[in-house]
Amino acid sequence: MLIEFNVNGKDYNMDICPTMRLVDLLRGELGLTGTKEGCGEGECGSCTVIMNGKAVNSCLILAAQIRGQKILTIEALEKQGKMDRLQESFINNSAIQCGYCTPGMLMSAKALLMANSNPSEEEIKIAISGNLCRCTGYNKIVKAIKEATEEN
Amino acid sequence: MDMDLKYVGQTFPIHDAPQKVRGELVYASDLNLPKMLYAKLLLSPIAHGEIKSIDTSRAEALPGVIRVFTHLNTLNKTYSRYRIIPNQEFCTEDERLFTEKVRFVGDRVAAVVAISLEIATEALALILLDYEALPVLRTPEEALQDNHTKIHSEGNLIHQYEYELGEPTPLLNDCLVVGTTTHTQKVHHAALETHVCVADFDSSGKLTIWAACQGVFGVRTIVADLLELSYNNVRVIKMPMGGSFGGKQEAILEPITAFLALEVRRPVKLTLNRKESIIATMTRPATKTRIRTNVTRDGILKDCAVDTVLDAGAYATSSVDNAFAMSKKICKLYRIPYYKHQSKVVYTNTPVAGGARGWGAPEIMTALEVHMDAVAKMLKMDLVEFRLKNLVHPYDKDKASQLSLGNARVIECLEKGATTFGWSQRYNRNPDKGRFRRGVGVACAAHKNGMYGGFPEHSTMTLKMNEDGSFILNTGLHDLGCGTITSIKQITAEVLDINPSYISVLEADTEYGPYDFGTYGSRVTYICGACAYEVAKRVKEKLLECASRILQKPKQYLEVENGRVWIIGNEQQKISYREIATTSKLKDNTDIVITHTYHGTSNPGAYAVHFAEVEVDTKTGMVKVTDYLAVHDIGKAINPGMVEGQIQGGVQMGIGYALYEEVRIGSDGSVLNSSFTNYHVLNAPDMPTVKTLLIEQGGDDGPYGAKSVGEIAFVPVAAAVINAVNNALGTALSDMPLTPEKIIATAR
Repeated sequence: MLIEFNVNGKDYNMDICPTMRLVDLLRGELGLTGTKEGCGEGECGSCTVIMNGKAVNSCLILAAQIRGQKILTIEALEKQGKMDRLQESFINNSAIQCGYCTPGMLMSAKALLMANSNPSEEEIKIAISGNLCRCTGYNKIVKAIKEATEEN
Repeated sequence: MDMDLKYVGQTFPIHDAPQKVRGELVYASDLNLPKMLYAKLLLSPIAHGEIKSIDTSRAEALPGVIRVFTHLNTLNKTYSRYRIIPNQEFCTEDERLFTEKVRFVGDRVAAVVAISLEIATEALALILLDYEALPVLRTPEEALQDNHTKIHSEGNLIHQYEYELGEPTPLLNDCLVVGTTTHTQKVHHAALETHVCVADFDSSGKLTIWAACQGVFGVRTIVADLLELSYNNVRVIKMPMGGSFGGKQEAILEPITAFLALEVRRPVKLTLNRKESIIATMTRPATKTRIRTNVTRDGILKDCAVDTVLDAGAYATSSVDNAFAMSKKICKLYRIPYYKHQSKVVYTNTPVAGGARGWGAPEIMTALEVHMDAVAKMLKMDLVEFRLKNLVHPYDKDKASQLSLGNARVIECLEKGATTFGWSQRYNRNPDKGRFRRGVGVACAAHKNGMYGGFPEHSTMTLKMNEDGSFILNTGLHDLGCGTITSIKQITAEVLDINPSYISVLEADTEYGPYDFGTYGSRVTYICGACAYEVAKRVKEKLLECASRILQKPKQYLEVENGRVWIIGNEQQKISYREIATTSKLKDNTDIVITHTYHGTSNPGAYAVHFAEVEVDTKTGMVKVTDYLAVHDIGKAINPGMVEGQIQGGVQMGIGYALYEEVRIGSDGSVLNSSFTNYHVLNAPDMPTVKTLLIEQGGDDGPYGAKSVGEIAFVPVAAAVINAVNNALGTALSDMPLTPEKIIATAR
């Protein structure tokens, strides 16, 4: 089926298989492998992208559902060679270990900050509650997100 | 210890952080090669049985399917996924690429190689299988009792042994005998990236494996020996990987992927989904440990007898060595005149157990620290005070290895931690009576620094200087996400006195890189870090020899700082590393490059003492960890930010181990919770803030005095949390995990 959509500011018009998931479209068709897959059932958040301003699990969304929608992936977080504050803050706070959860974690955090520029620590924890990390114990991730907001 | 350090002791982000935050880093699961094919495994749906017939014709006829493999058209050769070096002991060769007799739900029965993953998946459903079911042995007790049902032809007992340390001493009449039993469960490592492997066999006869693994040389040994290729024709490249925690230590997918690539002569990618990763890779072993100690009334341990049964699951893999590791831990922590351990390692029809963060230490230390609480309570003694009477002292001898425990600061950890946590006030407060009950727990733990004393222990690195004065350190390292590369860079930079940005550290590649055993055994900082330190010192000597020729002055008259060299007293005429490297090449035909093999000659203890506060809801059985302090005897923190991250991550995993996580096995042997919807991994709201206190007293052979942290960070967590729950409820729970059901049953 033919659909139009926008990923990272770029318009696409593609013929896709109706059963294809969004995560496969992004990774397989568009080569945006920054979006990771960890469970395929919306429990780990590794595949989080932003759809019309909201964080979603791209493994639970069919590619066909993004018809006419705007998708942001990790590859769009850096703008004109300048990292997003969240990216810098993750680096400065040692909030990255294996890094496999990092893109999804950053996209959940970004969606939060797009809606709420000064969230509390509890709001941050809830916003990333669907993103599992097995390396860091979350403490540094929460701190990194908090620091990115306080600078706002 | 040198207090004037520039890079060691500073926090640096993990080396590839900029790529990771941009989503640019290519992990093994992102790898895509031209003409690549996709493999999918058919896993056994039953836990025990003989395959009577397999019909793959319909699958083979599906357009897009390249080939289908089963035991009928595959080499019938056994191997051990655990082997690191040829002729290694206790590597039971009981596994085949595809089995004719299935031994657990998830055993490999067939593989389809197709042009897409979708087609491979579709083809699997077309394979017709007929089994004859055999009785399912779900527990070691069942497996040891049933003399008729043999999981492997040699029987269900893989190994048993008795191990004694010290001499029994006559017990006085006033000794108390205390006995406890602790059950630890199988858990899933839950690395966020599932298991994946890519392999290619090219027309020159070379097999290349892109592996998300912890030891490329072990993978090469296993694959080359299995497929009868010479080691020079098997190249294993360590890929960036999304976590491991021991779950990718052993060669799980590499032999099968390599075989498929060799057969189809095109690159093959094999990716497991989460369910397959949970049921068909590895789990932490389940153990049942009985401990009996004799202790004097004033709280001095006289002897300790331990009996462990380890559930290896359907294949032996590393389970025998895992059991040995358990036997060697307790005497690293407590002074015990006589220690005896008997162990049985048993096959069951359940998922395969193997290496897991801490390697036996979490299992035995949880049992031990739950036991220590029981002893102290029997003696009516404070839990901290009782432990302080028995903990090892710096430079005590390790009874197991006969080596020194080094500057073992566990007493300092416990004393400082108790003060910082406010132990006595919190432990001695009035117990809660209502629905919500608070409790505090403490647990000590010991682990190791490398494998010296029980296994060969060395590492080789090559450090070369480029013409511009930058450096490349070629290693056999595997960064699993712990920051290994960064800390090795810091160590090298410190020795060479140059900014770490001028040093590249390469990861393991069997073809282009030097030998190393791999990233496990808490050996990387202590052994590989020391290797980096030594090779850098040697390169610096050579560099100074070259500078000495240029400056026409003996080395001892030269000063070095920040990549520049000058004659003492003549700071105006500095020559840069660039000038030294280039001039040496141009004028002296000298290449500044050194290969060094460092071999370990010590294995001090690594120690941690953790304090937890919990709040138990007696109505729902839910436990919330409300406060946490982790104190670590780390010698020296090379990269404090990453050290703290290791500890906080260990606590996340340990709370799950204590309270929620378990690979649950149903009556038919199948895994009941094979997805993240019902296998609960702690998320951000579950996690307490973890405070850390680092004891940095050096004194051992690690670089700048550093000791291990990644594994020990996990070891005491479960015991600290369990002890806190028991304190809250006045119970003696020790059947892990402490699920709400178990807590409600006790609270009633």
